[in-house]
Amino acid sequence: MSTPIAAAGLGFAGHELARASLDQCLKCTICETQCPVARVTDLYPGPKFIGPQAERFRHGQSVDHSLDYCSSCGTCTLVCPQGVQIAEMISQGRAVMKAGHMPLRDKLISQTVLMGKAMTPVAPLANAALGIKPLRVVVEATFGIHRNAPMPHAQSQSFEAWFKKHRPARTTEATRGKVVFFHGCAGNYFEVATSKYAVEVLEHLGYEVLVPSHGCCGLAQQSNGLFDGATHDVLKLCDDLRSAGKGLTIVSASGSCTGMLKHEAHEIMGVKDERLADVGSRIVDIMEFLWTLHQAGELPEFAPINLSVPYHAPCQLKGQRMGMPALDVLGLIPGLTVRESGQPCCGIAGTYGLKKEKYAVAQAVGKPVFDHMLKDNPGFGLCDTETCRWQIGKSTGLRMEHPIYLVHQALGLSPVSTAA
Amino acid sequence: MSRTVSSATVVIGAGLAGLTSAIALAKAGQDVTLITKGLGGLTLSQGSIDIWGRTGAGLVTDPAQAVADAPAGHPYAVAGADAVRAGAEALCGWLDGWFEGDLHHTRLVPTAVGAWRPTCLVPAGHTVQPAAGQRWVVVGPRRMKDIQPELIAGNLARTPLPDGGFVRARGVGIDIAARAHEVDSSGVAYARALDEPSFRATFAEAVKAVVHEGEIVALPAILGLNDPEAFADLSKRIGHPLCEIVTPPPSVPGMRLDQALRAYAQQAGVRIVLGAAVLSATTDGDRVVSVDADTAGHVTTYAADAFVLAAGGFESGALEYDSTGTLSETIFGLPVTRAPGAPVVADYWADQPLFEAGLSVDASMRPLGQAGKPVCTNLHAAGGVIGGAVRWREKSGEGIALGTAWAAATAIEEATK
Ligand SMILES: Cc1cc2nc3c(=O)[nH]c(=O)nc-3n(C[C@H](O)[C@H](O)[C@H](O)COP(=O)(O)OP(=O)(O)OC[C@H]3O[C@@H](n4cnc5c(N)ncnc54)[C@H](O)[C@@H]3O)c2cc1C
Ligand code: SF4
Ligand code: SF4
Repeated sequence: MSTPIAAAGLGFAGHELARASLDQCLKCTICETQCPVARVTDLYPGPKFIGPQAERFRHGQSVDHSLDYCSSCGTCTLVCPQGVQIAEMISQGRAVMKAGHMPLRDKLISQTVLMGKAMTPVAPLANAALGIKPLRVVVEATFGIHRNAPMPHAQSQSFEAWFKKHRPARTTEATRGKVVFFHGCAGNYFEVATSKYAVEVLEHLGYEVLVPSHGCCGLAQQSNGLFDGATHDVLKLCDDLRSAGKGLTIVSASGSCTGMLKHEAHEIMGVKDERLADVGSRIVDIMEFLWTLHQAGELPEFAPINLSVPYHAPCQLKGQRMGMPALDVLGLIPGLTVRESGQPCCGIAGTYGLKKEKYAVAQAVGKPVFDHMLKDNPGFGLCDTETCRWQIGKSTGLRMEHPIYLVHQALGLSPVSTAA
Repeated sequence: MSRTVSSATVVIGAGLAGLTSAIALAKAGQDVTLITKGLGGLTLSQGSIDIWGRTGAGLVTDPAQAVADAPAGHPYAVAGADAVRAGAEALCGWLDGWFEGDLHHTRLVPTAVGAWRPTCLVPAGHTVQPAAGQRWVVVGPRRMKDIQPELIAGNLARTPLPDGGFVRARGVGIDIAARAHEVDSSGVAYARALDEPSFRATFAEAVKAVVHEGEIVALPAILGLNDPEAFADLSKRIGHPLCEIVTPPPSVPGMRLDQALRAYAQQAGVRIVLGAAVLSATTDGDRVVSVDADTAGHVTTYAADAFVLAAGGFESGALEYDSTGTLSETIFGLPVTRAPGAPVVADYWADQPLFEAGLSVDASMRPLGQAGKPVCTNLHAAGGVIGGAVRWREKSGEGIALGTAWAAATAIEEATK
């Protein structure tokens, strides 16, 4: 039977990039031993089996529904020494499998912008509602969103609203030209403070920061198999970001959305569009950006911060194959020790850990990350991606910050944290 | 957009050769970036260090002597016995207490097919040396893949030890599940279960129920992955000497060693870029200026004063033999040396000459060009990419990786002085 999505050509359009790599698999088992989901549950047979092995039999059809237990963390692709695009082909297989019978829940949780727009004007009310246990029980029963799953905290003012009114408090003239700041939907509605730190750091360094009004990258839809909607959103976003000016560097503090633009929309969904290729090659992670500046001798001295802080590098940041630039940049701050978790994933993987049937798996995946955060901390921990901060924060009770939080302090833009 | 990242040295590859040279240079105070397409062969290895286990004449009893006697052209002869010793000593120092043994003695470890496999340095306390007349019992979970206790015991008992004697051995299976619904768990699933003290208690009871007084207990190498106390705890609970049997991949001892060495490298300040394949290099005259790596969104250019090519051999794609019969090194396009005659022969059991193909290097581990001169003054090679040895037959791959990595790092340090 051919599903509509396969009939529309997407099953194979999406597949062609990753599929071509399956014959490179040597069956070495490295991906299996590193997959965080297979580590904690036998409901999932692991990346080698669900990826290059099952893919041979997946001619527009689904051969094994356990593939939905893959969280799309991308660890398998990262560790494979043969260049097999394991996670990519699994995501494609999921899109084909779910086409035509997409759960309403998966459509809902992919709509971060909608949630943000609905919650921001009534922030206190929305936050209170999400804290009400009986209500969450009803939501779990009706929609399949786990009652204890982490939810974002609504803010009364969006980042774009703040940005329009703010005036750069400069000590430096904007002599370094323009950069575009990408806030993403979480950075606009929920993680507003992180976006402000990022803009203030860039302005302090002498950049004129442009923020064209923009929406969502579609990552949550992509990881839920909603390729059509995700493709629409990511291209709309490219148009918005391109409207700020040609050839400008785009700086992002949203660890996972950056990956969607850099490679996932292309490598997973097979989007071949010059607008995406343009934006994807111009967007950089803010820590990656700062490290390049440092290497060019263009970063000022940092003030000391005498702390030892736990840090987790999110899976979708590592998936960008650039190492861990936050460790490099934070390593420049005198007195600061940053301890990385060494763990592949915190479990949330975008929206995976919200789902009723995946919640326990996601918590087990994240357990070593939570333990790492709780072991020794100054009252907060660090992580580059919004949803991961919500997950780790909810499961540990710890305040979670983006690494830019400490750079902001080290540049004298906010008071330096001291041990709690 | 393109980005340039600079460091003193760039190392390509995260196998034993790449990690060893990166750590050695970082410990010497250099800023080192290690770029790797994926995890290295260590994860699949037995977790012990082979130096030289076998020659055509049979079992090697003194690996260090075999290294010193290596024929001209063998990587050991080029790197020198001192570099091999220094590399092995450095590794033992970094992972303090991890290994036992010395370079002058061969150790034998049981394998999943019941062979006594020669190696040199072994994980401390995890093995028992066989001696004639000992009584061994091989105990294996029935639900574990690729482990047949009776077959292992039968083969161990009929294989003569170096002094001609034999161990006595019997095999027995136990029915214990690593995970409730799995009937064919991998060794890694058992190892993770055995990281939990409660499962260790149940497991130890099941083992104790089938062993007899005075027996040495051989178990597949699954006795804990991340909990360093697991092995000692199981030894205490079972109350017999324990010996781990090396398994086909996934190999738990290999994973333990890989994790420990990568963590050590990170602590030593090595910047590890995982998942990025190095695609090509830029040279200026006789110097490599930079390499380009396949990072997401844009290519990143990694500039450095020196480069170590530790990308492995054919199995990791560093060397290639294509359908037209062309033999090549895939990143720098360096000349690959091979013996004259057909590289591949039809006889399945014969030695394949292709296995010996690889780069020729000078004493500083710099790949040589046609005229026998280094192709680039600041490009060094280490590990499986170097030709002149049949590692799987000699049981020499790890020793070569250590020795050549050490020699390369030493040459780089000296050049920067
Ligand atoms: C079938 C077989 C059996 C063997 N048996 C034995 C044995 O019994 N005993 C023994 O001692 N040795 C044995 N060997 C040899 C041993 O495996 C190797 O000598 C040893 O692993 C080499 O280590 P290495 O660090 O050089 O390379 P590897 O461990 O192979 O690591 C290579 C690294 O380079 C990376 N890489 C490759 N290409 C690129 C690129 N373009 N860009 C970035 N990174 C790249 C890979 O991802 C990997 O991390 C055997 C080999 C084979 C093939
Ligand atoms: S790591 Fe790569 S080559 Fe190894 S089993 Fe997985 S997909 Fe195959
Ligand atoms: S993407 Fe992550 S969860 Fe999915 S198979 Fe790969 S490693 Fe496992």
